[in-house]
Amino acid sequence: MTIDLSRRSFLKLAGAGVAATSLGAMGFGAAEAAEVAHVRAFKLATMTETRNTCTYCSVACGIILYAKGDLKAGETAELVHVEGDADHPTNRGTLCPKGAAIKDFALSATRAVKPRYRAPGGAAWQDISWDQAFDKIARAIKDDRDANLIETNDQGQVVNRWKTAGFLAASGTTNETAWTTYKVVRSLGMVAFDNQARV
Amino acid sequence: MSRSAEPDPGMIGGVAQPDFARLPDPVALFQTRARRFAFLAQSSRLGPYLAFLGELAALQARLAAAMPPPVLPGPAPLDRAALAEDPALQATPAALCAGAADLDMPGPARLALQAVTAADAQDRRWLLGNVLSDRIPEDSAAPHLFAAAAVQVHLARLAAQLDAKSLRPSAPGCCPSCGGRPVTSTVTGAQGIENIRYATCATCATQWNVVRITCLCCGSTKGISYRSAETTEAMVKAECCTECGSWVKILYATKNPTLEALADDVASLGLDLMMKETGLTRGGFNPFLVGY
Repeated sequence: MTIDLSRRSFLKLAGAGVAATSLGAMGFGAAEAAEVAHVRAFKLATMTETRNTCTYCSVACGIILYAKGDLKAGETAELVHVEGDADHPTNRGTLCPKGAAIKDFALSATRAVKPRYRAPGGAAWQDISWDQAFDKIARAIKDDRDANLIETNDQGQVVNRWKTAGFLAASGTTNETAWTTYKVVRSLGMVAFDNQARV
Repeated sequence: MSRSAEPDPGMIGGVAQPDFARLPDPVALFQTRARRFAFLAQSSRLGPYLAFLGELAALQARLAAAMPPPVLPGPAPLDRAALAEDPALQATPAALCAGAADLDMPGPARLALQAVTAADAQDRRWLLGNVLSDRIPEDSAAPHLFAAAAVQVHLARLAAQLDAKSLRPSAPGCCPSCGGRPVTSTVTGAQGIENIRYATCATCATQWNVVRITCLCCGSTKGISYRSAETTEAMVKAECCTECGSWVKILYATKNPTLEALADDVASLGLDLMMKETGLTRGGFNPFLVGY
């Protein structure tokens, strides 16, 4: 910080003129030094607060996820707390009992985090890859649609209705995901379709 | 309790309807600040400094109660540049310096006080100009401390006369009453507005609502993290922004309702010392905590 030359006389009177902190300049340097010595042993702990949307239902309440550690700084983050987002116009900080328990949902030991398959009549689940899972789903959808698609009605008009399979999509998705889901499902002719989870 | 059988969702607790701005009650503000400083001084290594600032805040409260009420120069936001020329503002440092002469303080502080008391009109205008532009030269923190204390009294009393409903959000980190920078922000635990965050103006003490997880310096919502000493359960944290490289303290009144925006900023100097090592810049303005 440069010293304003025109203030030299005033600064001299004020005992100033050398860059110093408020405590140093006011004569409380000893207190400041004690604090400096005290904090030397401490480390900074990092918490992140992340705004998100509750995944439970179509009300789409705002939530704040508290995590220890900063993922963006290359650290691992551990979810420690979830609360309603008080700034969110939908829920203004409130959450229903399901939303309030969402941390346990996210951290549940029994949560499905990879695709698994149980053969018809079988008792045990087996892990399969995402490719295998997609292949199975695509095969089942194709077979069912080929067998059951109603292409025309009684008057011979083209209707392309597929009534034997239904589609239940998530509510906590973005508008864009919901739009894409709608287009994919309707273009297949599927009639039974819900994009909101009525839990 | 509602006696009607009709369902009334408003009766369910926790539906926050925050006001955008909360104006200061100057006398109560400085009295509360003085009590908080005095309490913090009992157990802090910064005790002597906090005790002094507590006495100063008590003096500010007495001045706020005793001085003739200032005339509001116009609607919000207050024109700070014009205020520098306001005779009512210029009278406040004189009254504050006269009162502060009776306070206990170390030699360097007394020297600065005497210099401010004796300052000619030009030097006084320079002091007030620096304080009003929220820029304290680091080579003269002590005289500016007294000038800033006087400006706080005057601006808090002006802000108290504004119409809170007329205040509108302006640029990020700008007080809607006086255009000043915030000292800290507080996550409030008050009934009905739990977990809402208010930034507090360092000068006029107007509190304004700022959406949480938003940088108080640049308004960014990206790359915000919260650092605190040792534990993530701390009541005072540094809200850090990687977009603009600055940080501002955030006080969790949800954990301790007695936290005071300016007093606890000074008392948590340890966090400033630790944050200095991170390379981020302190964004909160506090004329009692210059040089960190």
